[in-house]
Amino acid sequence: MGLGSIALASLLGPRKLTAAEASLAPGKILHHAPRAKNVIYLFMAGGPSQLELFDYKPKLIELNGQPVPASLIEGKRFAFMGTSHGTKLLGTRRTFAQHGQSGAWVSNLFPHTAKIVDDISLVKSCQATLFNHAPAKLFMNTGSGQFGRPSIGSWVNYGLGSESQDLPGFVVLQSGPRGPRGGAVNWGTGFLPTNFQGVPFRGTGEPILNLTNPEGINAARQRQTIDAIRDLNLQRAVETGDAEINTRIAAYEMAARMQSSAPELIDLQAESAATLALYGIEKDKPSFGRNCLLARRLVERGVRFVQLYHTNWDSHGGPGENLEGDFEKVCREVDQGQAALVQDLKQRGLLKDTLVIWGGEFGRTPMGENRNTTGRNHHIDAFTMWFAGGGVKPGQVLGETDELGFNAITDKAHVHDIHATLLHLLGVDHTKLTFRFQGRDFRLTDVHGSVFTKLFT
Amino acid sequence: MPLSRFFNTLPLFAATLLPAATIDYLHDVKPLLTQHCVRCHGLDKVEGGLRLDTAAFAREGGDSGSLFKVRAQGQSLLHQVLTGTHEDIAPMPYKKTALPASSIAILDAWVQQGGPAPSNEEPGKFIHWAFRPPVRVTPPVAPNASWPRNPIDHFILARLSPEKITPSPAADPITLLRRASLDLTGLPPTPVEIATFTAENPEAAYTRAVERLLASPAFGERWARPWLDVARYADSNGYSIDAPRQIWKYRDWVVAALNRDLPFDQFVVEQLAGDLLPNATLEQKVATGFNRNTQINQEGGIDPEQFRVESVMDRVNTVGSAFLGLTIGCAQCHDHKFDPIKQTEYYQLFAFFNNTVEDGHGKSTPGGTLEFASEIESADGNQPELAEARLDLERYLNLHGGAVTAWIATLTPKAQVDFGATAREALAVKWEEQTLAQKRALYPLFKTSDAEFRTRLNRVSRLERNERKPVSTLVMAELPEPRASFLFINGDFTRRGSAVTPGTLAVLPPLHASNPAQANRLDLARWLVDPAHPLTARVIVNRIWQQYFGRGLVETENDFGTQGSGPSHPELLDWLATELIAQHWSQKAIHRLIANSATYRQSSRARPDLDLSDPLNKLLARQSRLRLEAELVRDAALNASGLLVAKLGGPPVYPPQPDGVMNLGQSRRAWTVSRGEDRYRRGLYTHFWRATPHPALAVFDAADAFSACTRRLRSNTPLQALTLLNDQQFFELATALAQRVEREGGTHLDEKITFAFQLCVARVPSPNERHRLTELFHAQVTTSTHATPTAQHTEAWRTIARVLLNLDETITRE
Repeated sequence: MGLGSIALASLLGPRKLTAAEASLAPGKILHHAPRAKNVIYLFMAGGPSQLELFDYKPKLIELNGQPVPASLIEGKRFAFMGTSHGTKLLGTRRTFAQHGQSGAWVSNLFPHTAKIVDDISLVKSCQATLFNHAPAKLFMNTGSGQFGRPSIGSWVNYGLGSESQDLPGFVVLQSGPRGPRGGAVNWGTGFLPTNFQGVPFRGTGEPILNLTNPEGINAARQRQTIDAIRDLNLQRAVETGDAEINTRIAAYEMAARMQSSAPELIDLQAESAATLALYGIEKDKPSFGRNCLLARRLVERGVRFVQLYHTNWDSHGGPGENLEGDFEKVCREVDQGQAALVQDLKQRGLLKDTLVIWGGEFGRTPMGENRNTTGRNHHIDAFTMWFAGGGVKPGQVLGETDELGFNAITDKAHVHDIHATLLHLLGVDHTKLTFRFQGRDFRLTDVHGSVFTKLFT
Repeated sequence: MPLSRFFNTLPLFAATLLPAATIDYLHDVKPLLTQHCVRCHGLDKVEGGLRLDTAAFAREGGDSGSLFKVRAQGQSLLHQVLTGTHEDIAPMPYKKTALPASSIAILDAWVQQGGPAPSNEEPGKFIHWAFRPPVRVTPPVAPNASWPRNPIDHFILARLSPEKITPSPAADPITLLRRASLDLTGLPPTPVEIATFTAENPEAAYTRAVERLLASPAFGERWARPWLDVARYADSNGYSIDAPRQIWKYRDWVVAALNRDLPFDQFVVEQLAGDLLPNATLEQKVATGFNRNTQINQEGGIDPEQFRVESVMDRVNTVGSAFLGLTIGCAQCHDHKFDPIKQTEYYQLFAFFNNTVEDGHGKSTPGGTLEFASEIESADGNQPELAEARLDLERYLNLHGGAVTAWIATLTPKAQVDFGATAREALAVKWEEQTLAQKRALYPLFKTSDAEFRTRLNRVSRLERNERKPVSTLVMAELPEPRASFLFINGDFTRRGSAVTPGTLAVLPPLHASNPAQANRLDLARWLVDPAHPLTARVIVNRIWQQYFGRGLVETENDFGTQGSGPSHPELLDWLATELIAQHWSQKAIHRLIANSATYRQSSRARPDLDLSDPLNKLLARQSRLRLEAELVRDAALNASGLLVAKLGGPPVYPPQPDGVMNLGQSRRAWTVSRGEDRYRRGLYTHFWRATPHPALAVFDAADAFSACTRRLRSNTPLQALTLLNDQQFFELATALAQRVEREGGTHLDEKITFAFQLCVARVPSPNERHRLTELFHAQVTTSTHATPTAQHTEAWRTIARVLLNLDETITRE
């Protein structure tokens, strides 16, 4: 009203990108046919012990308590180096068994995960570069231990754009006793424009900050407000010819849609009792399982990249972080939810388009730390991750480690290779997805990375 | 062959790239040869007997003969190899992408001319434009041009005229006043300032306004922000623990230095080496906080040396971004791929910063912290720390909740006799539901001697007793014995290469150290601000320019090297750089020049006629609309609402933020909202936690303080919309704005709408805008659920205030 002369539709409709936008947002970059459209990344913050979960080493059990062969540790650096503990081999106390058609070894700490081994591909030969939590986590997320590089989810949204009208393209969910080390930089955009940043939803309450109207403002009043903002912004757009104002008008419309879509997303009422039971969700209780279900709901709604963080896997052996009760607890917290997610995605036909990734920033040493209770140190030379859906060949166990589980010996998959593979599955050539910053073209994989083709062929 | 004939065959390039008739070897040719050819055809390597590091060598040719002679095919050898048409020689650059046709055209043209070049060219020496000292040319005054107001405009016009582009008309006076107010002080003009301004002759009024704004204390607050971005200033240590730190004295030093227009050379010297100045004053030591803004990793199990080295590297990289405009960090692991920066030179710079007292773990180090015994933290300043200490104590106690509960179960009634009242009460309450007071009464009965508990409890008690600590700030200080410095192979601090001593880049002027055996930071600082230094002045005037126009004359403000974009107006950049020095390094002199120029005063209205020829507005035939920086988005709203407290400096403050923000980081930090005037201070003073920055700052692209930030992005997202619409603090400001309008805005609806509108965007509303707002007002009143007209009006004004604070124009400098 009052703006009859303004062709609202033409201003809100498709428009040419401003030059600045054109240079910043390539949108749909596909270098080849994609196998996956979305990613759900289950980040096990703190570095879970592969030796208690997937990498079964009878020899290590046999040599329990023996000093580590000097040939293995010569010239290596470890976290907490210079302290006395951590030079004797520690065999796992967990019971392992082979499961499924693939015959993958899984310990009894992951009974639910053991049931999905034929849907996933285990990679036991993962390798990282950095061995302290914050830099290693950054490395796993950005391909660099230094601050200021974009996270995987930002790169993916920068490259492919978002398919959701009502929700951001990169969503982060968290569970466990504390946030992941490094905090928001793990899902930051670095030098990419900030509209590609991960948006951290919260497990309870408002899923996105400032989603609810201020107190005393009802929906009608909020709509009147947004309409007036739009009309006045339109007038200014006409007056100044600045296309950036149209972007802002669109942003307000998205904001309004998020105010209604996000609460619907988080409301699990519509889910059947069977689904809730599958994930092991208790009413109103924040949990990793609830976040797994939310992740499914997010990809259903077109969100490109969902990342779940669960803490705390840092099993050094001290109070709250031993490989006994504490480790069992954190395993219980994730086991059912992660298995349910893969099963649920599969049942709904979503798994073929959705790549699920499970893993921490590094693994743990075959040596034990002689603290009050047992624990293991950070280890970057061999650890286990698993992948499912999105073109990943199911039921595989890839990569072998030596008989003590110290070094990866076949099919080594470095973090850069994992990044290259992730992008490949999304239809993107990791050497071609670049952004010019400070005089050079940056990539997620820096100057490294090769696609780990065994994962999907 | 005459040049004109040559160009006839290449009309495209002639029109767009070579407006001048002759090729300038240093400007046009040498950079191409240097970037693409000399690595194999230069001092170090002489492939095919050919060198291209000087024009004389190029004219000589190599094993295959003259590059210049026109061959049978009618082309020079150079042309043939560059276009890949030579029968025997592989296309050049060897195994690299071919040069763009435009570059080949430049080289061809130069060859046509016989390869002219200055005779004093030195073999092997790289003379990229940015490494040559600025050359001050007389501003090119166009005859009969009435548009220019000062030398800046002559340069701009001289670039526009050959393109037949006319500058835009000046923006209207009110837009100009708002623009200058936001640019110089970060605050929109007040109603009184607008009234004073409009009462005067517009011409005189504008110049006077610029002087008033330059003299305002808010000037320092506004211009401190981009400098603090460069200095990676924050109020916490970063990494995973992100403990709070005190370094706000440094922030206040920057504000004060800018306000008193401390000459830029002094500004640099004091920040890099104030502690080493003879008879250094307290203030000069505070200034060295610049290099203490590095992060500190307090994670358990780290190798402190690794993170000490990281912070030294951060200092080197920051010197590169802040003063040299060079990507020095690239040379950390290997020689710079593109610029003449050797890895050894990186570690020579490293050696300047390697002698400081810190340990890499944030433990207290003598000399690294300056205490102000006479200044005691205010009680209010204590509150956040107290909340923090309590959280810390509770966290610790909760680790033992299970054990305490188990212990309680074993207690006999007799054992409880001596317990105090609080502890006895606590016995009946589940651990999870106990208050901190109950937990801390109970715990020492369970475990009688626990040093960790004692330390934490004592900290809480001390703060509760309101014992106050002196204010302190982090500063640089040298070790008595310098640390030995080494090159690190592949940048890995565990792999030491050869030893290095402090030194600078060979491509830049020589360093003059007072003690040549051991140059120090003071020598480095003085080297940077030597008027002969080709980079420092250019880099700072470029960053000042960038704030006013949204883009620097060198767009890659942090890369003046060969991979950078190069200046759009090289003569203007050099003129401004030399002018800064001529004005005794007065930054305000440069601000004054820019703000008064006709270039700056142009309208920011889009120019469809330039959509094709200059879509990014690099030639500056208009101004640009720029979204306000994160802090200023809120400052503008604070200002409009009348709540802004114009108090300079002091400890960081805690304006409201949504619940649950602080537990996103690894360690949960307290955020006790400031009461009283600290709730309404400028965004500059908001406590900045690196791990969990205030969401309203982060969402509007505030710098993250992890490394030097020389330019902020300007994103435009739905999260920004949600912040302005629904965030508690913005709603509070809208409510205050509404009250102010009802209180001060006059009697009629029309008057009030004008008043409110002007508070946000300075200008009066157009008839359409007025109509829309009037309509909104009536719609709000008629749909109100309130009974009384007073309540209905209050509600309607609040809605209008929300609309106005959300306008694109309100958060944009036009």
